[in-house]
Amino acid sequence: MTAAGKLAEPVRGQVNADGILLSADPRLMRLHLRSGGAEGGPLAVPELAELCRLSRRLGMNLSRPAQASDDECRIDMWVETRFASPEKGERLSLEIIDWKERPHEEPRQMDPARARDFDRLEGRGVIRTDAALRIIAQQMPGDADQASDAIGQSLLDIYDVIPPSGHARLLEAVAERQPIRNQRVQEKFGSQHLYVLQGQPLIDKVGIFAGYRFAATPDIPETSDNDNKPVATKLISDSLFGFQLGPALRQPLGKIIANAETISSKLEGPLRGDYASYAKDIASAGRHLLELVNDLSDLEAIERPEFTVAADDIDLVDLAHRAAGLLAVKASDHQIRIDLPKEGEKLPARGEFRRSLQIIVNLIGNAIRYSPDGSVIKLRVSTDQEFARISVTDQGDGIAVEDQDRIFEKFERLGRSGDGGSGLGLFISRRLAGAMGGSLTVTSSAGKGSTFTLALPERE
Amino acid sequence: MNETMNNDIIRHASAMAGKASFIADDFAQALFPKTDVHFNDRMRSNARQYLRATIGQIEQRICQIATQELGVTHETLVKIGQGGGGQSFRLLENSGLLKTVEIVQHLFIKAQQGELAARLLQKISQQDLEATLTRHLDHADPAVAEAAMGLLVAQSKATGAVGEISASLADLPAEIAFALAWPVTAALARLSDLPGSQLQQATERLLASHDESASVARKSDRLAQLLEQADMTEDRIPHPMRDGLSLFIARLARQSGLTSDQIIGFTAEPNMVRFVVAMRAANFPTQEALSVFAALDGDDHILTAATYGEADQDRSAALVSSWAAPSAYQNAERILADDSLSDRAK
Repeated sequence: MTAAGKLAEPVRGQVNADGILLSADPRLMRLHLRSGGAEGGPLAVPELAELCRLSRRLGMNLSRPAQASDDECRIDMWVETRFASPEKGERLSLEIIDWKERPHEEPRQMDPARARDFDRLEGRGVIRTDAALRIIAQQMPGDADQASDAIGQSLLDIYDVIPPSGHARLLEAVAERQPIRNQRVQEKFGSQHLYVLQGQPLIDKVGIFAGYRFAATPDIPETSDNDNKPVATKLISDSLFGFQLGPALRQPLGKIIANAETISSKLEGPLRGDYASYAKDIASAGRHLLELVNDLSDLEAIERPEFTVAADDIDLVDLAHRAAGLLAVKASDHQIRIDLPKEGEKLPARGEFRRSLQIIVNLIGNAIRYSPDGSVIKLRVSTDQEFARISVTDQGDGIAVEDQDRIFEKFERLGRSGDGGSGLGLFISRRLAGAMGGSLTVTSSAGKGSTFTLALPERE
Repeated sequence: MNETMNNDIIRHASAMAGKASFIADDFAQALFPKTDVHFNDRMRSNARQYLRATIGQIEQRICQIATQELGVTHETLVKIGQGGGGQSFRLLENSGLLKTVEIVQHLFIKAQQGELAARLLQKISQQDLEATLTRHLDHADPAVAEAAMGLLVAQSKATGAVGEISASLADLPAEIAFALAWPVTAALARLSDLPGSQLQQATERLLASHDESASVARKSDRLAQLLEQADMTEDRIPHPMRDGLSLFIARLARQSGLTSDQIIGFTAEPNMVRFVVAMRAANFPTQEALSVFAALDGDDHILTAATYGEADQDRSAALVSSWAAPSAYQNAERILADDSLSDRAK
């Protein structure tokens, strides 16, 4: 792609009365072919073809701006149509006197480590394979570190494909480089966990198929045997989210968000006016709903009597950097700077990796939500009395002393609304901190910002 | 009363009888307008003069081509071709052929543009306004400088007397030239009793030679596109007193995704509310928006910073985006939203 702007020489082409592109300069021909046209076929660039039709219907020369798009860039043009003579049926010349190419907004290519953090935060595992379905990397839900024993083995040697799908159908999809949706698999050895895989084919920079990236969600088998379900307390959320609504809502919401983001980033071509902003609104509303579903699922999980957390070896400085990375876009949307402990510093602690990350993401997310644009959020670590502590300090309005306990209550919003919060985040975070043997506290005064501190047992 | 006068009265009386049934229509339109837009006498007069002059230019040019290039030797056509007074307008004005939405909408836009130009001239002198474009003449990008020169030349050709709309065949959008040229051709065929084919051929030549790239509107659009590409940070916000009216409108249209005609139409609405929303959507800073409003307002209205600030930018952008949808879609949406229609469907 050339980033060339205005041309010394116009790009030219000729179209006959049937709309067939008779000749074209290389740039126009390339655009025509990339728009699905063929040599000797009708002009396939929609806006140019429309101008030609209008020009021919009126029998007049036109001079107008036009926009086109191919795989690589959006092209702003100034197009002039010219009849060689006034005779009907005469070929029409196209002269494009401005040809400004702008690369498409990069579909936010996510850093693989950041993508993994998102997956872990959502309780998903990740399996990366090569083109022959050999596992290159694997990190399953609940594992603090990458599994090394599976590396190099075929995916099908580690996992059984569960009916109704079979090996053949999976291999067929792989052979056609198709995305793989809702493929149920079971570990052949060990704990024999069940997972649902969503696979995206990976294409490298030279366009060659390079394998798959699978997201693995633990699969809870549908069974009529109520013994498998918690019975100790019959909470409404048990039946609503744990087994039914949560999984059923996440998938369509995920599709809505993904499609709305595709539209808003104009990946499929140019979009008239500001329709992209509508799609952005849809994606944002979808994300809000998904967060609510996740909060309600977490609420259900922590209220179960058998709820437990793993005791992983974690590093709070590392978690601070990961959490800040996950929220970097949101912070930059509000020109907020997140001031982090120095990279390389370490503060070992004991707690479940995913749940600790979830708490810190929640604290930073709240700080962004309630801080003025352009402010600074500070993350600091310290140790005392066998606890490792991480604090998140914002420059928001602060919380009055009498409200500081209330904010940790379920659905407590302190009268706020419309800011995307559900009133569950701090309640869940404090319960999670407690379950890990730690605590979550706040110090604040009205008008002077707030400091939330997560304390977790220090690791030896 | 001599015989000639008597004949005139008879002729006028007959004509009045033929039109009598339309009196109620005209009065009804004046009594029950469907919009809040106020059309003053100057706009009506200007639009009529503009239409008459434009049709005169078109018929003169058709007659010139027919008589000089195609060898037609009809006395009436030769006379019209030599500027001897057009006759088509009289024939067409009561026929309804000029009342198409496309033509009337164009007349309204031209009349409103004339209003805006007159308002602007109360705040800045013609000389200063003409000087606005010269600042782009030595732009670092030669394409911008060339486009600015093109617009300057087009404007100098099109400038009419203060307060009037300049009628120029070269300034017509292709669709309007087409929509006017064929009824004029039919009127000329009727006036001359000539078979239509030669006149049709002349009209085809007229249309084929029409170069809309020379029009002020297209030159403004092109300069607006180039200025946007040039990505000028210190001159991002257009202003009619810095850019001149047509370039200002083209730049705002480009920034908001609307057409120039829509922007001009908004300025005719009470308090220019949609115009203000378009500026808000394009993220005009408050002081710039207030200044632009004051420059284009003709009724001593004042836009306050509080009022402008109250308009939420996201909601303004969403509204403007909906106005940018194809007009056929907007019309269909409006009709389908009609309560009575919904009730019928139930």
